[in-house]
Amino acid sequence: MKFDARLPADGVNVTPTHPLEELGVLLAGLLGVVVVLVLAATLAVDQLVQRLPADVESRLFAHLGSASDPADDPRSLAVGKLLGRLARHWPERPYAFRVEVLDEPEPNALALPGGLVLVTSGLLESCESENELAFVLGHELGHYAGRDHLRGLGRGVALLLVLGALGAVDAGSAGGLATLAGDIAGRSHDRAQEVRADAFGIGLVQAEYGHLAGSTGFFEKLPTPASAVERSVAHYLSTHPLGDERIATLRRLAHERGWTFDGDLTPFSTASR
Amino acid sequence: MDPAIVQPLMELGPPLVLLVAAYFTGRYIEVQHYRDIRRREIRWRNLAAVTFRQVPKAWSVEEATLVTGSVVISVDHFKRFLAGLRMIFGGRVRSYESLLDRARREALLRLKEAAAERGCSAIMNVRLETSRMASSRRKGKATAGVEVLAFGTGLRLRRSAA
Repeated sequence: MKFDARLPADGVNVTPTHPLEELGVLLAGLLGVVVVLVLAATLAVDQLVQRLPADVESRLFAHLGSASDPADDPRSLAVGKLLGRLARHWPERPYAFRVEVLDEPEPNALALPGGLVLVTSGLLESCESENELAFVLGHELGHYAGRDHLRGLGRGVALLLVLGALGAVDAGSAGGLATLAGDIAGRSHDRAQEVRADAFGIGLVQAEYGHLAGSTGFFEKLPTPASAVERSVAHYLSTHPLGDERIATLRRLAHERGWTFDGDLTPFSTASR
Repeated sequence: MDPAIVQPLMELGPPLVLLVAAYFTGRYIEVQHYRDIRRREIRWRNLAAVTFRQVPKAWSVEEATLVTGSVVISVDHFKRFLAGLRMIFGGRVRSYESLLDRARREALLRLKEAAAERGCSAIMNVRLETSRMASSRRKGKATAGVEVLAFGTGLRLRRSAA
């Protein structure tokens, strides 16, 4: 017998794929799966929450908000009273609204599920009149009217569900989950929803005061990008329309409906309660 | 810096650095190992390692002895990461293929080297066995490494008879 001293074949048992190529393909696949799952879950949750009755929603999210009694905070009481006055002009409102003040320097307001409106202390400090604050609150009520706060929540919950399923998020803390979902909900309204909420809010302000004086004050304080490039970048990044565009839209709407921006401003103070 | 940026960076940073480092070290070691394997395979190419169970009639055996060659390998972090991703989708775990290929060839080379040390000029009835080594972590469910054992019957042949 003849022994043929051949070398073992190189690579028969090894797929000649570069490890980085393998990594790229797998990561792209994983990303694709996550995107598809998030989209599917978002659609599903969106469909579900839009059918969620408001009273069920209020019960489900009754635990949202801080543990301390908001009645202890004079600021919450003051803002709550103003919100109550505005809400009277929306007779078919399905929620019992609550207000809490967050100690945050950034002026902002959030519509959380279950009728909890969060207002930052920065917003209260920056508002020069009750009218200005009233419009911001009216805008948040507009989100409730469009049930936009739930749409955002659907996205947040769907994202968390999928990430949790993949093990990326510790699903242990349900409370943190709800808070985070609410947080995402507060941020993820799209521009069309903002415009609708603006229109709803300004209607409430008109009904309450009989004029719109001071209502665009919040937008006037937003930094306005100067150059065209800056504008387009800001457009792309923001979920909210730019401040000056919102003012223009509101003025057009007011003009169409015969509402005026002239009137006396009502002062607002949380201490005067 | 903004804590919203720092926080995920602190959480993702170290594992990412570890992964990149594991890729480069693992890659370097693999290239070096393959080079060494190739060199030794050329060196030992004339020492026959065959799977026959019977000694061919033409061979005149002076002495027969058990020879073994064994190697323990462990997976690097990057390969494990790739395999983990693979586990989601299924398919060939390519990142482990080269690792096991290296282990088998290394075990066979050690077998040949062991045989040569004993003056054998052929090894018959060569077998390969793989076994998992349990780690003390996770009650022995984790894998510390894989042993590939090559064994066979080393033969000292009479030159004249060949």
